[in-house]
Amino acid sequence: MRIKVDALTRVEGEGALDILLENGTVKSLKLIIYEPPRFIEGILKGKSYEVIPEITARICGICPIAYQISGVQAIENAFGLSVPGEIETIRRLIYYGEWIHSHALHVFFLHLPDFFKVSSIMDLAKVNAEYVKVGLEIKKAGSSIIQTIGGRTSHPVSICAGGFSHLPEDVSHLKAEIEKALDLCVYVAEKLKDLPFPEFELKDVLFASITDKDYPILKGDIQIGQDIVKLEEFEDYFKEYEVEYSTAKRCQYKGKTYLVGPLARFNNAYEKLSPIALELSNRIGLHPPLLNPYKSLLVRMVEMVDSLERALKVVKNYKKPDPTRIEVKPKAYTGYGISEAPRGMLYHSYTFDEEGKILKANIVPPTSQNQDIMEKALVHLIPNLNMDEETVKESCESMIRNFDPCISCATHFLKVSIKR
Amino acid sequence: MKVGVFKFSSCDGCQLAFFDLSEEILRLSEKLEILYFLEASSKNVYDSFDISFVEGSISTQEEIERIKSIRERSKVLVAIGACAVSGGIQSARNFENYEEVFKEVYKDLEMENVLRNAYPISRYVKVDFSLFGCPINSDALKEFLISTLLGKSPMEISYPVCLECKRKGNPCVVVLKNALCLGPITRAGCGALCPSFRRGCYGCYGPIDKPNIDGFEEKFGKIDEAIKVSFNAFNPTYRGVFYED
Repeated sequence: MRIKVDALTRVEGEGALDILLENGTVKSLKLIIYEPPRFIEGILKGKSYEVIPEITARICGICPIAYQISGVQAIENAFGLSVPGEIETIRRLIYYGEWIHSHALHVFFLHLPDFFKVSSIMDLAKVNAEYVKVGLEIKKAGSSIIQTIGGRTSHPVSICAGGFSHLPEDVSHLKAEIEKALDLCVYVAEKLKDLPFPEFELKDVLFASITDKDYPILKGDIQIGQDIVKLEEFEDYFKEYEVEYSTAKRCQYKGKTYLVGPLARFNNAYEKLSPIALELSNRIGLHPPLLNPYKSLLVRMVEMVDSLERALKVVKNYKKPDPTRIEVKPKAYTGYGISEAPRGMLYHSYTFDEEGKILKANIVPPTSQNQDIMEKALVHLIPNLNMDEETVKESCESMIRNFDPCISCATHFLKVSIKR
Repeated sequence: MKVGVFKFSSCDGCQLAFFDLSEEILRLSEKLEILYFLEASSKNVYDSFDISFVEGSISTQEEIERIKSIRERSKVLVAIGACAVSGGIQSARNFENYEEVFKEVYKDLEMENVLRNAYPISRYVKVDFSLFGCPINSDALKEFLISTLLGKSPMEISYPVCLECKRKGNPCVVVLKNALCLGPITRAGCGALCPSFRRGCYGCYGPIDKPNIDGFEEKFGKIDEAIKVSFNAFNPTYRGVFYED
C-alpha cells in the first residue's frame, strides 16, 4: 500500500511524505522536501561581512534572530573580537524574545490543535478559547521584547557584528507584559500536562545541544551524548551523508543519529533551567531522560518559562551598554558561530578576505540535523497504527509536528526533490 | 469573503502577519473565511477565492503552473512581501553566475525544475494589489483587510522613508554619520525602522514610483555597486536591470 501526504500542514515550509507499506511493515519512507532551493550560501559569496545578519535572517521568518546571532558570532570569531558581557546580555534578551515568540507560535497555533483533534487555532478557539487567548498573550510578550531591541519581530534590524547599531535608553515598559506572560505560562503548563500524550519513545538517539553558562541558548561548544566537541571541530564530526531511499542530505555524528531542539536541550541541561522553570518541570513530572517526542510540547512551555524569567531579570537590571557596538576590523580568516535556535543548534562558518568579503559560507540549520531522527520515529510509529490510510496520514503528520520542522530553513541545505 | 494564503519561494515571514492578526481574524470570522492556509490549518479547500494572498517568488517550473492556477481561481490576487512583489533575496542570484551560485550549495545534484532566476509573481500573472516590505507589516495587512471589507480602496503609500524619519524626529543618518541610506528612494511603511536604529535604510520595501536615481548616485556613487555589496538585492528594481533572462 502506498500512502502519500502531498503537503504537510501546520509546519513551516513545504514538505510531503511518501510511505510504502508491505504486509504492515514499512518498505520505504521518504520525507520529501519540495520547497525550492534559495542558494543563500551562494548568494553570500563575494558580499561584505556586513550583510550576513540581513541575508541569513531571510532563511527563516520565524527564527531570524538565531541566524543573525550565529552569523555575527562567526564574524567576531573570524576577526578575533570579543564582545563585552553587557552587550551579550542584550543579545540573550532579544534571543529569549525569539524563543518565546516561536515556541508560543508552535505550541498554540501548530501543535495544540492535534491534541484537541481540530484542524487549526481558529477551530481550537471554538472548543478552548482560553488556551488561544493565553497563547496570543505569551506570543505578544515575545514580540514586544524583539520589537523593543530590534525594531520588528521578523527580520529585526539592530543586530550587527560587534553588538547593536543602536539600543533604547529604557525598556521598563516590557516588565508588566513579561510578568503577566510568565504567570500565564506557568498556569497553562500545569493544565497542559494532562493532555492525552501518546505513549512513544525515541530509540537509539543522541541528544545534542550547545554548552552555555545558563540553559543553552547563546554560545558554546557542542555537547552530544557524553562527548564535548569543540565548535571549531564541528565539521570534522558532524557529517552529511546520503541514503538511497531519500533525496535529502542528513547529518550524523560519528555515524550516529542525533536530535537537536527542546528535548535535546532539556535532557542535556535540565539542571541549568531557571528556578521557576525547574520547579515547574518537577511539578508537572518532567525529568530527564525524556524520550517521548509528544512531550516536547511541555518542554517548550518550560523553555518559555525559562526565557521569560531570565528576560524579566535583564529588563529589571537594564542599562544601555555604552558603546552599543565595539569596533570591527576585518581579517582574512575563518570563523565559526553556533547558537540554539528555537528548533535546535544552528551552525555558521565563514571564510573572509582581508577586506571582509565572504569567500566561503556554510550554514547547518537544525531541521536538516533532525531529518534522520524524524524519519526513524515515523518508521517506528507506523507498525503500531492500524492500517486505515487516514489514521496513518494524520498520525504521521502529528509525529512530524513534534519536531517543529522548519523546512524553509532546511531547504537551502537539503537536496530537493520536487514532486506533486 | 473567501480567502486563501499561499506560499512560494520564501522564508514564511510574511504569513506570520496573519498569525499576528489572529484576534482580529477570529472576530471577523463571520465575514472572512480562510479556506486555504497550509501553515495554519490541516483542513484546506482549494476551490475559488475572493482574495488570494501570495507570499514568495517564482523560482521553479512547478511554481509557474501553480501561480497560474491560483490566479484562475481568485477574484483578487495580492502579492505580499518583497519576494512576491520583486523577487526577494533569492533573486540576488539573477545577477550572479547561476552555475557558480549553484555549486556553492549543491555538489553533484541536478535540479531541472529550478529556474535560473527567481521572479516576482507579476511576471506570470496579473497582480491586483501589493503589500510591500521584507516582511510585510501586519498593520498594513489589517488596513487592507478592513478596507476591503468596507468596500473602499486600501491605502497605498507612495512617499519615501525620509518622510517617516522627519515625522519621528530622527536625526538623519546621512547627515549624522554619512551612512549609505536608501531612504530617499525607498517606499515608506516600516516606520523608518533602520534610521531609528541609527543605520541606513537597506531598501526592503522597494523603490518609490519615481526614484531620483541620479541624485542618489551623485551622493553615494553607483547604485548597482551600493546594492550589490552593501545591500541585499531584496528589490531588483533598484538595479534597473529587471527581468533579464
